[in-house]
Amino acid sequence: MKIVVCIKQVPATTAEKRYTDDLRLDRASTEAIINPLDEYAIEQALRLLDAGSVDAVSYLSMGPDQAAEALRRALAMGGDDATLVTDSALAGADEWTTATVLAAALDKLAPDIALMGMASDDARGSLVPGAVAAKRHLPLLSYGSELAIGEGTARVRRLSGTGFDWIEAPLPVVATVTDQVGEPRYASLKGIMAAKRKPMETWSLADLGLGEGDLRGGALTRVTDARPPEAKPPTERIENVGADEAATQIADWLASRKLI
Amino acid sequence: MSNDIFFFAEFAAGAPERSALELAAGAAELAAAGGGDTVALAYGAGAADGAAGLGAHGVARAVVLGDDAPAITFGPAAAVAVADAAPLAVLAPATPNGRDLAAALVGIGDLPAFGPVRAVRIADGAVESEQATLQGSVITTSRPVEGAPQPSVVLVLANTFTPVEGGSGSATVSQAAASDHPFTRATVAEHHEAEARVVNLEEATIIVAGGRGVGSAEGFEQLNELAAALGGAVGASRAAADAGWVPYQLQIGQTGKVVKPSLYLSAGISGAIQHRVGMQTAEHVVAINKDPDAPIGEFADLFVVGDLFQIVPKLTDEIRRRKG
Repeated sequence: MKIVVCIKQVPATTAEKRYTDDLRLDRASTEAIINPLDEYAIEQALRLLDAGSVDAVSYLSMGPDQAAEALRRALAMGGDDATLVTDSALAGADEWTTATVLAAALDKLAPDIALMGMASDDARGSLVPGAVAAKRHLPLLSYGSELAIGEGTARVRRLSGTGFDWIEAPLPVVATVTDQVGEPRYASLKGIMAAKRKPMETWSLADLGLGEGDLRGGALTRVTDARPPEAKPPTERIENVGADEAATQIADWLASRKLI
Repeated sequence: MSNDIFFFAEFAAGAPERSALELAAGAAELAAAGGGDTVALAYGAGAADGAAGLGAHGVARAVVLGDDAPAITFGPAAAVAVADAAPLAVLAPATPNGRDLAAALVGIGDLPAFGPVRAVRIADGAVESEQATLQGSVITTSRPVEGAPQPSVVLVLANTFTPVEGGSGSATVSQAAASDHPFTRATVAEHHEAEARVVNLEEATIIVAGGRGVGSAEGFEQLNELAAALGGAVGASRAAADAGWVPYQLQIGQTGKVVKPSLYLSAGISGAIQHRVGMQTAEHVVAINKDPDAPIGEFADLFVVGDLFQIVPKLTDEIRRRKG
């Protein structure tokens, strides 16, 4: 039983973000981390490994050369090996492109479960896992607050509108988990040292048998404009007043905006 | 290819969810701009019976995908319906179910994907969408590349469009073809209902949200009373949901609901970026926090520095008094 956790390197959530003159993110000057929501997928996979439910945990990422750092950090948390898909033709990849490439890489790695975080911190579309499942002709088990493995099946505990369900499908599957699986572990010093010796492969698009025609020029979408968000009016403050006065002033404020 | 606009319409207990009515309004607007029809892809409990009623919301045709099953199982049938008609766009709600269905279309049909968007329009014969990325630090506009396959699949945030009420008419209803795609192999193995009824926060126009500072499930009682006085619903930060004070269905933020009410009144929420992305498009934000340096003070419209346990009950009384 083998899990491949797909991870994405993203700009640090709270990092000061700088933009080039054409309003593209200046990634070179921005601290990069493992997408925080992918760390929950790593944690879920490692818990199943710790429990003996799976035999191996591998990592897969698509990105520039420096995404190897994110894979090393994942390996420091645990697991066995990692693969980076990197290719100059992938700059500007959109969700469809990413799904196409990850699906081809997962076809080669052939895990029982391809596991992903519920969303990426930077774009938040959450479409890649389902599109990967579609491309690989596998069931999708998404938004699990827990992933469990049964006899030839996997299941996720998923929040519903009024409670929760356990959704089940036959293996192999593509699955995603939420931040409810439990807090991701920290990498120990021993883990960080061990990670340096764990195998990491780098694949190009040619290694995946993907040509330019397969990726239709690199993306199906393009960004035509990027601009800073609209400036918000300054915050009004109520402070250094008693609770009665504060309540009156809040009510006045709400009334003047016809909210009560 | 057509200029039709398709949208996913989720049903519960025989009635369309608010997201379905919002997307019906949005799809009708885009269809009118391009001279096409508005077509619903209806699914969920009671969709077969309720689909014709979408005609009152400007829907010409409705394709019923299926009844009560995991949403992803309807993806393949939706992909067939979409491939047959090749509409200009398919709108999907930016909810877990909507994202699963949108992803199925993108992967099965090799289609361009957009969103979650806060605005979408037709420009020069193609879909143009506007999206806040990198935690809202930049607003981008995107289009399909020249020669990209049709339709564009667009995830739409709640409250991007306003439902149109008071219409009449009936949509022509058809049943989608059955599929044996692997997506249909996901089944509900166990179903658990919560003890108490949980409100759908995406439908609330006023939200009173509590965080770590509320301190306990009992503390949320005060927020319930304020919400009742305002005619709104109670939401929470992840910290409050993790603590078990409220069910996870009420969590607002990156990994919970993304809401856009006319009033968002928070108490005891510091305003971390993960919370902010779930509520930053609210029209009016009022925050009560005892920490004068809480991050929420930087983006609230009105920031009240003080003890929520003293202010909230008095505010509830004051609002009740004014409303009579």
